Amino acid sequence: MGKSDHLDLLLTDYFRPDPAAPRLAHRLAATAGESAAALERLEQRLGIEATPEGICLVRTGRVDKPATAAARRLIERAREEIHEYFHGRRAFFQVPVDLRAVPDFQRRVLQAAGHIPFGEGRPYAWVASRIGHARAVRAVGTALGRNPVPLILPCHRVWRSDGGLGGYIFGAAVKNRLAALERTTPVLEGCTTTRIVCRVGCMHSRRMRPENRVVFASVEDARSVGYRPCTLCHPAA
Amino acid sequence: MDTERGLMRRVARGDQAAFTDLAQRYVPKLLAVAGRLLGSRADAEDAVQRALMQSYAGAAGYDARWAVSTWLYRILTNICVDELRRRATRNAHDDGSVARALSAASSNHRPPAAYLDLHRAFARVPREARILMALRYVDGLSYGELARIRGISINTVKSQLARGKALLRDELGKRGA
Repeated sequence: MGKSDHLDLLLTDYFRPDPAAPRLAHRLAATAGESAAALERLEQRLGIEATPEGICLVRTGRVDKPATAAARRLIERAREEIHEYFHGRRAFFQVPVDLRAVPDFQRRVLQAAGHIPFGEGRPYAWVASRIGHARAVRAVGTALGRNPVPLILPCHRVWRSDGGLGGYIFGAAVKNRLAALERTTPVLEGCTTTRIVCRVGCMHSRRMRPENRVVFASVEDARSVGYRPCTLCHPAA
Repeated sequence: MDTERGLMRRVARGDQAAFTDLAQRYVPKLLAVAGRLLGSRADAEDAVQRALMQSYAGAAGYDARWAVSTWLYRILTNICVDELRRRATRNAHDDGSVARALSAASSNHRPPAAYLDLHRAFARVPREARILMALRYVDGLSYGELARIRGISINTVKSQLARGKALLRDELGKRGA
């Protein structure tokens, strides 16, 4: 390590590995089998409807066929984004949604839920106070329960104040799994060859080779070590 | 004894015993890095477990031009950095929780009393420098290896480490260490 000073010695001692580290390796076999099988099953059963302006319905089961080529393209894009999201390669949705058929109150509730950061959860009361109806917690729950575009507008990030899951259109087990999925999906990735930092799921980030991906905690951190934000996905500064 | 690259080739073929062997070589070091970055022992174990799972699942994509250590530390730091990001957004949402998080971290992973000042000072070093310092001091990694793990230039590694150490000296000086 070259010439050492007092601080180097102190740090080396501070970071000394614990020789009695637990045998994590043996615990792996038990958990490695737990896969995203439930999400894969959901993905296969998803039906999506769109208008030329955006996605207007995501449900399990049969749905109406797209009326126009533009709607069909949007549905394909939504399927692709949901597939990437379920596989931990997307931290935001870019496909547009069409909420024109949704009542005003419900639209505001859904838009508020859309502001909950990826991987986070907020209580129903948080959504209620954000739209200026602090006492309308129950109405918020109903509005979220009727979310026409779940997954894309993240009603699954709204939980009960006591930490309980609350309901979910695809069932509590899926809601729980989505929370776990988002906890393990990185949000900001830099490419070591281009030194550009992107939101995970951006067109640029999808082209990165696995060995060129480094995760950052903030755009500011990335800048501090010589990366610049992507001009396609504009990761928040 | 197998070389690490040889072990990785066996892991890529699905050899569970080779994987266990590799994990046992690295788990203490990976835990030390994750523990110092994340503060709590439970979070560190979770991060290491995920890193090992990812490395097992991705073993087929391992490129033998990389040192196994570089590859493993890249996977682990990616996981730890994302956990730090999540905490930062959580803290920004939940006012006043920084103090709680710090006290929770120190109660979960209490450093020896002699290192309490260092522990607190280290928490004030910017994230990227903190990551490099943890890797540097746990395993004595070279500047070149650190640069590769974080995908940055060697000069940036040097300047970040120097900045981190200068900040630590300042903080420790303030506390009269």
